[in-house]
Amino acid sequence: MTFKFRVALITGCALFGAVAPILAHHSFAAEYDSTKTVTVKGTVSKLSWVNPHAYVYVDVKDASGKVTTWAFESLSPNALSRQGWNRNSLKPGEEVTVEGYMAKDGRPLADGSIHANSRAITRSDGRKVFVGSSADEVPSK
Amino acid sequence: MKKRHLSSLLAAAAIAALLPLLPVAGVAQSDAKTGKGGKGFGKQGKTEQKDTLTPSGPAPKMSDGKPDFSGVWTPGLSFTQMGQVPLQPWAEEVYKQRRATLSKDDPEGHCLPAGVPRISPFLQKFVQTPTLLVILDEGNIHSYRQVFLDGRKHLDDPGPLWMGDSIGSWSGEGDGGTLVVDTKFLNDKTWLNGQGLPHSDQLHVIERFTRPDLGHLNIEITMDDPKAFTMPHTFTRTYLLRPTWEIQEYVCNEFNVDADHLVGK
Repeated sequence: MTFKFRVALITGCALFGAVAPILAHHSFAAEYDSTKTVTVKGTVSKLSWVNPHAYVYVDVKDASGKVTTWAFESLSPNALSRQGWNRNSLKPGEEVTVEGYMAKDGRPLADGSIHANSRAITRSDGRKVFVGSSADEVPSK
Repeated sequence: MKKRHLSSLLAAAAIAALLPLLPVAGVAQSDAKTGKGGKGFGKQGKTEQKDTLTPSGPAPKMSDGKPDFSGVWTPGLSFTQMGQVPLQPWAEEVYKQRRATLSKDDPEGHCLPAGVPRISPFLQKFVQTPTLLVILDEGNIHSYRQVFLDGRKHLDDPGPLWMGDSIGSWSGEGDGGTLVVDTKFLNDKTWLNGQGLPHSDQLHVIERFTRPDLGHLNIEITMDDPKAFTMPHTFTRTYLLRPTWEIQEYVCNEFNVDADHLVGK
């Protein structure tokens, strides 16, 4: 990883990730690595309000001006709506910091964006939105 | 078996830590503190768990005096709880393989039906008439169960079904009566839970539904599977009524990119 400027990829045993979270239609541990945590700061390019998981796309610009897009899997729209969020809760251009977990296979999504799973998204004023990670009912180990 | 027990405990711990994400207590309140620059995110902050959404009061009845299970229910933590299922050796090996590959082949990850008695954490809507109980699943996929209460018999070998064939009858047991639902003809493609507990096409499920009060639905579930279990296994679930909530759309196959990225190890 070379996103030295605004991205810090932290690899280790995440206390939180020692057991997988819940609420997905798939095994969290089969797709994401709870020990590969990442914190990304950038601007929202799109909130995709789709099933079975909403996706938050974040553009990250490095010092040379090159933009890289991250795609963070979130909870399902119905679960998010019961937490009080909707498709307008994040707007394109908004600055956010996203904490998440990297996909195990390291492959981007079909659109080329880096594939990760969000645990928490924080706005520039410090308020959190979309707190929670998609995951499943089993421990990661 | 011990490993399975440990897994259940770990799963329970994970769920307890993440209770606010479930539709149990309504809008989640989180004060998670995030660690930065260390080896992880730090521990999730403590969250008060107070159920202010489950109503109290007497259980409603149908006009004929039978319990009325109608309503929108959340399974809460019930969806993870199954206890120790007594597997035959071949089934234990299947289970170990599914654990070793971290449930990457779970049918639910491919937006297939859950089967019976597996449920998801999402809501269920019960619609009851004197002759029919319909259970509508919000997720994992939109699916339904029809429980026939009109005295009919089971189908004559309809072939393996994803959700089986369910016939209901009434028992005088319990507070206000019990609905006994007998389900057969299930296929062997579904898993009993997300951890991969297997079953065969001989799985026979008997569910005993009672509603002790307005806000609670108890289901005692007995599974018997002579091809996969060493003996019948019984466990219970408790659902909570959500009178102001409604099931919502959840179209699992809309953008299921996960299926292509479930690598397991």
